[in-house]
Amino acid sequence: MTQQWEPVIGLEIHAELNTKSKLFSVAPNRFGDEPNTNITEVCTGQPGALPVLNKEAVRKAVQFGCAINANVAKFSKFDRKSYFYPDSPRNFQITQYEQPIVLGGTIIAEVEGVEKSFAVNRVHLEDDAGMLKHFTNFAGVDYNRAGVPLIEIVSEPCLHNAKEAVAYAMAVRAILQYLDASDCNMEEGSLRFDANISIRPKGETGLRNKIEIKNMNSFSNLQLAIEAEIKRQAQEYTQKSHLPPNEVIKQATFRWDPESKQPVLMRTKEYAEDYRYFPEPDLVPIVLTDAYINQIRATLPELPLQRLRRYISQLSLAPDAAFFLTSDKLLADYFEEGLKTCSNARNLCNWIIVEFAGRLKDTGKTILTCGITPHQIAKLVNLIDKGTITGRIAKSIADDMLADPTLDCEQIIAGNPDYQPVHDSAEIAQLVDQVLASNPQSIADFKAGRDRAFAFLVGQVMKLSRGKASPAVVNDLLKERLKAKGKDEG
Amino acid sequence: MHTLSAIDLRNKFIQGDLTAVEITNHFLARIDRYNQDLGAFLAVFHERALQKAKNLDEKRRKGEKLGKLAAIPIALKDNIHVAGEISTCGSQFLLNYRAPFDATVTRLIEAEDGIIIGKTNMDEFAMGSSTENSSIQKTFNPWNLKCSPGGSSGGSAAAVAARLCPLALGSDTGGSIRQPASLCGIVGFKPTYGRVSRYGLVAYGSSLDQIGPLATSTADAALLVEVIGQHCDKDSTSLPMPGETYPLQERVAGMRFGVPRQFIEGLAADQQQIFNNSLETLKSLGGTIVDVDLSSCKYAIAVYYILATAEASTNLARFDGIRYGKRSARAKTLDEVYELSKEEGFGPEVKRRILLGTFVLSAGYQDAYYKKAQKVRTLLLQEFKKAFEKCHLVVSPAAVNGAFEIGAIKDPLQMYLEDIYTIPSNLVGIPAISVPSAFTKDNKPVGLQFMGPQKQEAHIFPTAHAFELANGSSKKIPPLYQENLA
Amino acid sequence: MPQLHKETISKLTKLSRIDCSEEEQEKLLADLKRILNYIDQLQEINTDNVTPCDHVLADMLNVMREDVVGPTMPRETFLNNAPSHVGGLIRVPPVLKNGT
Repeated sequence: MTQQWEPVIGLEIHAELNTKSKLFSVAPNRFGDEPNTNITEVCTGQPGALPVLNKEAVRKAVQFGCAINANVAKFSKFDRKSYFYPDSPRNFQITQYEQPIVLGGTIIAEVEGVEKSFAVNRVHLEDDAGMLKHFTNFAGVDYNRAGVPLIEIVSEPCLHNAKEAVAYAMAVRAILQYLDASDCNMEEGSLRFDANISIRPKGETGLRNKIEIKNMNSFSNLQLAIEAEIKRQAQEYTQKSHLPPNEVIKQATFRWDPESKQPVLMRTKEYAEDYRYFPEPDLVPIVLTDAYINQIRATLPELPLQRLRRYISQLSLAPDAAFFLTSDKLLADYFEEGLKTCSNARNLCNWIIVEFAGRLKDTGKTILTCGITPHQIAKLVNLIDKGTITGRIAKSIADDMLADPTLDCEQIIAGNPDYQPVHDSAEIAQLVDQVLASNPQSIADFKAGRDRAFAFLVGQVMKLSRGKASPAVVNDLLKERLKAKGKDEG
Repeated sequence: MHTLSAIDLRNKFIQGDLTAVEITNHFLARIDRYNQDLGAFLAVFHERALQKAKNLDEKRRKGEKLGKLAAIPIALKDNIHVAGEISTCGSQFLLNYRAPFDATVTRLIEAEDGIIIGKTNMDEFAMGSSTENSSIQKTFNPWNLKCSPGGSSGGSAAAVAARLCPLALGSDTGGSIRQPASLCGIVGFKPTYGRVSRYGLVAYGSSLDQIGPLATSTADAALLVEVIGQHCDKDSTSLPMPGETYPLQERVAGMRFGVPRQFIEGLAADQQQIFNNSLETLKSLGGTIVDVDLSSCKYAIAVYYILATAEASTNLARFDGIRYGKRSARAKTLDEVYELSKEEGFGPEVKRRILLGTFVLSAGYQDAYYKKAQKVRTLLLQEFKKAFEKCHLVVSPAAVNGAFEIGAIKDPLQMYLEDIYTIPSNLVGIPAISVPSAFTKDNKPVGLQFMGPQKQEAHIFPTAHAFELANGSSKKIPPLYQENLA
Repeated sequence: MPQLHKETISKLTKLSRIDCSEEEQEKLLADLKRILNYIDQLQEINTDNVTPCDHVLADMLNVMREDVVGPTMPRETFLNNAPSHVGGLIRVPPVLKNGT
């Protein structure tokens, strides 16, 4: 049923910039300190306090704009956005509504192996609110986060399924990371996603009412929430096909609850706030020169897309593997560190993002936090390449390395006879003969042209050798024997 | 001693004729004697002021360098922060609010050895033209205790006029320094927008507010502006230039004074006469009178009440009972914290202006009101620019009439019209001064206003000074306050 | 002039979070009507092609500061003015997880 529906999704991403001080206040921009210790009169909204703009926040915003090939506005300014909430020190946010600092832009992301281009509508600067902590009989407000600089990255409604949304979000995160513009820590809230979701029958051009879902703090939650909402809307439209569409889905805002993995209604359109935006009188406009913008553009570090393309063309990595690696700068850095001592990029990549990552799933650790150095993995890959160990043995070694990350893999091999592969042709030849003797049917199948029989026989030899036989040697010996048998039996 | 100017007091201190403690005690005694009936001060800093005075006497004894404001007692309007002291802004909302930081002007005054002697009464959150909107107490006009001293800096004006202190600071958003100065027979000056830091001034109309001096002479006012007119890093709208000095000069001969005729038309006959006499004085000093066209000024009040209230509606949103100020004891839910605290904390004029400001910004009305007003503001800027091509300074009355009786003006709209001469200079950000020019038949002071182009303080003071000397009205002290309490 | 009703006042008091009695709302409605009537004279002026004035000092641009941490407000000073606080947090009545 969902095939006839085309989802239309827009993402608004809020990223906290990792400046030293806040956007308009000189208080420290730090997470995790004692409540209400990183504050000044400005970010607690004391009467008589005034905002002064942090030039580094402007630079990071411009840098991001350049990184996504957007139009950096030569003239931009701030506006007041009025709404009441205890975490807002002034009950108005200072944001950029009418004339944001960046307009347009493109995010390129890998979606299921295909490179896709997504349009950004705008990027603007604004200050973050404090944090509300909920207790049974009261709530507590901590203003440490109030005033932290945010850039809000607003996409066009050009994403058409959850996977695209996640790929887009990952690509944005990667760019922020590569620019060192934000900590991008979703658990700490320095990167937050809001999604606007509507669906329409394929072929329809207008946009139907959208639902906003806020507060998805992980890529998996983002995907879950979007998929669930698309399904729900499709069901609604289908069940209520007798009603006009704008009565089936009415505009509303939900908050994603990570515990129940359900959206919770926050407000419907009737209660939509009138933000009464108007120019911030306490701040003067930002006027940027071509020279300033060009200087920032010229000194951009390598960006994820560039790194991705480099990995594909120079290291021959598969596109989806390269995308996964380069989506996290720390992971890619880890990989490149390993490359210093290992020349097989494809294998190294596979061991990092498939073998080790797979083993670490659900442990709460990642390859970056498990304590194993990239050089260890590089070493392991080198040993496989040289033929010193087999792939199967390597997997067991990997398990051992994870159990005790301080161990060197060569030490592990030296300490465990099972890991020492057998290269001795005579020994392997014995096993080969044994297998051939016990599997006459397979020999017959092979001679009849079934190649699978060969693989089966190889497998049997490997099994007999408990994985220690060198696959290359087994292959050669088997081929030799089978050929000989063929000759024998004429 | 209280008949001396601030400059004279400082000179006497520096020369050793008077000690700082003597000076401070003299004025503290006057405050203690007269404030009860006058209602000018909300708080008096007996200990703090005397301590500072003692320190100054010690400094002088040791031969240390003494500041430009040495030993001068100065009062601050209660919307200007002195760290650790209460800033009520004339409101029930902030009765217990202790300022967590010094205003820049406070710091600058103390750095030049000024003695901050107390905080003065005002219309609540600076919204008003009579100080009747103070929720704390009434202030009376030293020339006639039945009358209003004007507003919103009525406390500062009354204090200086009654010679309870030689200098005071007020704030001026639509005339709140100049109109009370005019009604109290003293000098009041609003600097160019951005000349004086607004850091530590509780904001009312952010694009209009300026802190400025109230004094018994132009020379004293200029001295204070020398000290407080400095660039400030904590105020993004602060002029990016260092402070200026205003040497005592007289300058009228050869100057052209622009008179906006349409503006003066509505004046009562006796006020017209007073204004014309002032023009004659200027002519006798060698000035020329020219006509200038400021016809858009008739829209100034409408523009002001849209822009100021819009800004105020957001500036006052922070008073919500959450982080500071009054939180209603009746409030059980979050909504009640907001609604009841504001209901109990704000007076009717404040509520009126917040609602009006909310209205002119609200969806569907913003274009017709807020944006329209901003465009007319541009027209006013253009008109003044043209006028200053024809003249050096524009002159007008400072107020519509002499002081009115407390309680006489009940209609809010009529009260707004009191500011008709002062509002335009806030809208276009230009400096303006009110200098005493005459007394009405019932012995109420009247002031003459000079307005100059942006940043041209240095061109206003010499002329105002010359006019003041030639005119002599500023020398008069209200009869009730002439007595020397020796 | 736009039609001002009781609902307008009601909506404005909600937007600005000020509680007002019925009586006060009626008075406010009357006051606002008069004031708006006066303000409406602005509609007489032709402002086509006039740019709105955001800042009265037209040449003030790019006022920014270095990204340097400055002196903070001691928590005690902050909490001293607070109507209610607990554990270093400002205390408010329980809040539904709503809001923006």
